[in-house]
Amino acid sequence: MALLEGHGVSRAFGGVRALDGVDFAVEAGTIVGLIGPNGAGKTTLFNIVAGALAPSQGTVRFDGRQISGLPAYRICRRGIARTFQVTRPFGEMTCLENVAVGIINRHPALGQSEWQDRAAGFLAEVGLEAQARTAAKHLNVIQKKRLEIARALATEPRLLMLDEVLGGLNTQEIQEAVGFIRELRDRRGLTVFWIEHVMGAIMQAAEKVLVLDQGTLLMEGPPAAVVSDPRVVHAYLGD
Amino acid sequence: MKAIAKRWWLGAAVAAFAALPWTLGVYHQHILIVSLFYVMMAASWNLLAGYTGQVSFGHAAFAGIGAYASGILAVKAGVNPWIGVAAGTLLAAVFGFLLGILCLKLGGIYLSLTTLGFSEILHIVINNEYEITRGTMGLQVPGLIAEYSKLAYFYIFLAAALVTLAVVHRLIHANIGLNFRAVQNDERAAAALGVDVVRVRVLAFTVSSALAGMAGALYGHYLLLITPQIPSLDQQFLVLSMTVIGGLGSFAGPIIGAFGLEILSEYIRAYGEYHVLAFGLVALIVARFAPRGVVGIWNGWRARRDLARAAGAAP
Repeated sequence: MALLEGHGVSRAFGGVRALDGVDFAVEAGTIVGLIGPNGAGKTTLFNIVAGALAPSQGTVRFDGRQISGLPAYRICRRGIARTFQVTRPFGEMTCLENVAVGIINRHPALGQSEWQDRAAGFLAEVGLEAQARTAAKHLNVIQKKRLEIARALATEPRLLMLDEVLGGLNTQEIQEAVGFIRELRDRRGLTVFWIEHVMGAIMQAAEKVLVLDQGTLLMEGPPAAVVSDPRVVHAYLGD
Repeated sequence: MKAIAKRWWLGAAVAAFAALPWTLGVYHQHILIVSLFYVMMAASWNLLAGYTGQVSFGHAAFAGIGAYASGILAVKAGVNPWIGVAAGTLLAAVFGFLLGILCLKLGGIYLSLTTLGFSEILHIVINNEYEITRGTMGLQVPGLIAEYSKLAYFYIFLAAALVTLAVVHRLIHANIGLNFRAVQNDERAAAALGVDVVRVRVLAFTVSSALAGMAGALYGHYLLLITPQIPSLDQQFLVLSMTVIGGLGSFAGPIIGAFGLEILSEYIRAYGEYHVLAFGLVALIVARFAPRGVVGIWNGWRARRDLARAAGAAP
């Protein structure tokens, strides 16, 4: 049984079917990529898994239990953390406090000095230790993406969902980021579900890739098989 | 070391303030007592508006619930006013909790709209239930102490204001305070990090309403006459102006705003009730150009001065 499973997941916005009967599975301990052209429904699928949206039809199961329909905060407490494609830092709060929010809702009884220590640890993990006392609104775009990851890790997830964390990085930085995510997965025993436009990164990092197109699952398989599939090429490039 | 020094200064300031009414006449003592009432109102409204970003227009209404509950209990049932104050506080908390559950799930502007409606309904009920509330004539109620003394009331209000500030301080500096601010900054991101947004808001709204209820109940037993002026929108916008001008979302802001505007309004009383309008306009301008109020301007000025000093010392 996979850690995360979706069956017939559908979501309509007005008359538009953003997702239409998608079945998917993310196996424990793997990195699974989610790709597809713009408007394919990738972020909608993430929002449904994370509880920001309820599916119109279908169910999502995490660790064998149904999670679809639960509010976002409860899904987080079950062990799913996500980052946002357009970062959503708590701008008026320091980086340390941003991360602390994830910690204290996992461990409500922690005292201030304890959560400060732990938060500093998560910031160090993503290389933001120098910005601990900086208000999050003063970070640059790349630092904000790192902060999103630190906050997500602070909730101690089993499943980490990354929504385009590589945007704005150059080739060498992408290499480092891919190495970082893989290392993170190994060290923390995470499962990673990853939306990414940077195809090369997904090719390197993922064990399996799901391709969405116009709200349906076009295909899934190992990265090499997926990118050479004519249907995928067609979906991306057209005729 | 610095924290200890700060604590001493704070203690000294409170002690000096506590000694102040001995040097003043009855009229100025009255102004201080009313100011302390507004400190309670503004600080508790700030807990909700400043720290969770939810704007309630029912804060004066909750003060009214506290005042009328305690007053009616005393007049109709002969209940001791101190027990009445506790009952008024509790009733305001219950109303806050129920209204909170009803409309805080919706988020956004719904709390503002619902509390505005609630406030008007309460006003109409008080005006029309003449037999119980005495309507616009006002309800005469007994005082908190057997022998009326402004000095005694001053110390009661000072103690109540310190309790209110302590509750607010404790909440915003406890772990839950981080959740308050996270919800205010970005509720979707907060929910994704495990924050139960509705629960946080209901808690803040309930505590804030209870504190307003306590302030209102005490105020009624100080004035000895409870009128619909206490739960009026005038009063609501005065509290809003005090908080916004003083500094929304800062601990000191509502204190500064309450004293500043109450003292100022005593000086411009001669011009009639227009001062609330004037304060509202000033609050609008402040909200637009200095959203952190007087406290924000002060902090900004200090930061720039420190920066200039550091630059001056560098070479």
